[in-house]
Amino acid sequence: MRLEKWAMGAESTIFKTEQWGYPIVLKWRPQKPYLLKDIDELLKKTRTNRECKMLTHARALGVSTPTVHWTDLENYTIAMDFIEGRQLKQLASTLPESRLREICFEFGQSVARMHRGNVVHGDPTTSNVLIDTKSRLWMVDFGLAEWNATTEMKGVDLHLIRRALETTHWDQQEVMLTATLEGYVNLLGSEAEPALSRMDVIRERGRYH
Amino acid sequence: MPLTCLGIEGTAHSFGAGVVSDQGKVLSNVWDMLSPQEGGIHPREASRHHSDKGPDIIAKALTEAGIGPHDITLIAFSRGPGLGPCLRATATMARSLALKLEVPLVGVNHCVAHIEIGCLESGFKDPVTVYVSGGNTQVIAFAGNRFRTFGETLDIAIGNMLDVFGRTMGMRFPAGPAIEQEAMKGHRYYSLPYSVKGMDVSYSGMLTAARRLQTEHIPLPDLCFSIQETAFGMLAEVAERAIAHTKKGEVLLTGGVARNRRLGEILAGVAARHNARFHTVTPPLAGDQGAMIAWTGILQYTAGDRLSVAESYVLPKWRTDEQDITWRNLS
Repeated sequence: MRLEKWAMGAESTIFKTEQWGYPIVLKWRPQKPYLLKDIDELLKKTRTNRECKMLTHARALGVSTPTVHWTDLENYTIAMDFIEGRQLKQLASTLPESRLREICFEFGQSVARMHRGNVVHGDPTTSNVLIDTKSRLWMVDFGLAEWNATTEMKGVDLHLIRRALETTHWDQQEVMLTATLEGYVNLLGSEAEPALSRMDVIRERGRYH
Repeated sequence: MPLTCLGIEGTAHSFGAGVVSDQGKVLSNVWDMLSPQEGGIHPREASRHHSDKGPDIIAKALTEAGIGPHDITLIAFSRGPGLGPCLRATATMARSLALKLEVPLVGVNHCVAHIEIGCLESGFKDPVTVYVSGGNTQVIAFAGNRFRTFGETLDIAIGNMLDVFGRTMGMRFPAGPAIEQEAMKGHRYYSLPYSVKGMDVSYSGMLTAARRLQTEHIPLPDLCFSIQETAFGMLAEVAERAIAHTKKGEVLLTGGVARNRRLGEILAGVAARHNARFHTVTPPLAGDQGAMIAWTGILQYTAGDRLSVAESYVLPKWRTDEQDITWRNLS
């Protein structure tokens, strides 16, 4: 089996390989020698476990996620479909504004689908939104996702989206945020309100605003 | 004309005065920190401390730098963020000196100063900065003409968490160094809430849990060890997320809590995994001090920044990302 190092994430290394003639990726959470072993093992285990389940659960809620082929909890590895495409982070500045709006609207809808099922993504940055070669939107990286999400947790999710747009897409943040929140409200209707107002409260809560 | 800048810092518990040349040479850096016999920092007491000790500290900074008042060509002061009474006491001294000596005044963002002094010391051009202190916990990187906060605490700062826990244990403010000493003797890990949300962290939950564990007669060294490993592990993770997200090749650790050696060790490991260079500011430049204000003042002044006395009101809630960083040409 040919393994190709494909990407280096914060907590994982992604390899690209093949299975039965189809491209797949292996997401491996390596040991981090600089962390206390107890903490490192607990994190790797719970996150691998959670990500595997959540990729499937989110799909049941109507969000496109890569299919999980197998999981090796001993080695903290998940094998899943390879998505041929690019991160929204990389694409955003290359797209015409109308197309960017469409994608963000769809991103907001995807987040809303999860929230409607009381699931939060936990790290909804534009690094974790993929657009494939057929212009389809995928959500990835569910290691920080959580079930039984409260209004507070949904508010944090929205706060993280706003933050990610401010820091990474500062020159397009208004267009992107507006479209994302429009998509969110479009799907949830009046149910969106509690999480949206909590997003503003959370922002004000930090030490120095 | 060569610049000699007097920087005055007084955003919270510390008052500092430092003299720095436009060559980036720190000629002096004198400070004093309010450390109450018991309890934490009261803003009014801290501002009184600054008013009482300030003039002597400034005089000492000039003496140590080997200059007289008329050798100063620029005054920089910490304009925010911070405690209002402290900021006002400090700004008053800065304004008086600028008027008396007839030299220009610049207002410096305290958080930005922590980054810039770290860059001066390390030679870093464009780092991911982990800024940790009693009042701040932020992961910052430069993008689009601003220092942008990629992650921060959603509730209390890491230093604040350590101080409040230490106070429960009867330690004096600041408690970080005492906790570090105890942690070195600890080895058994007690699980504490680990709270990372995207690139943000939350410390209030683990503080509550740690205080509860303390009532269960767990040995203090083990408890301090567990607190450090959990709190620093969370920081390592958000720093790592910021590095992976921004793909920057330098990691800077700055702020008062940067003095903690275990934290430095962990973040050095994070940087190594991503083939990034790593620097921890040296202890004299880690906490709140005037040299960082003076140096950042020079950078701002050189880029054309001026602040008239009439407009030099303080900004207690001045966010890191609210200032255009005119002196940096990166995009």
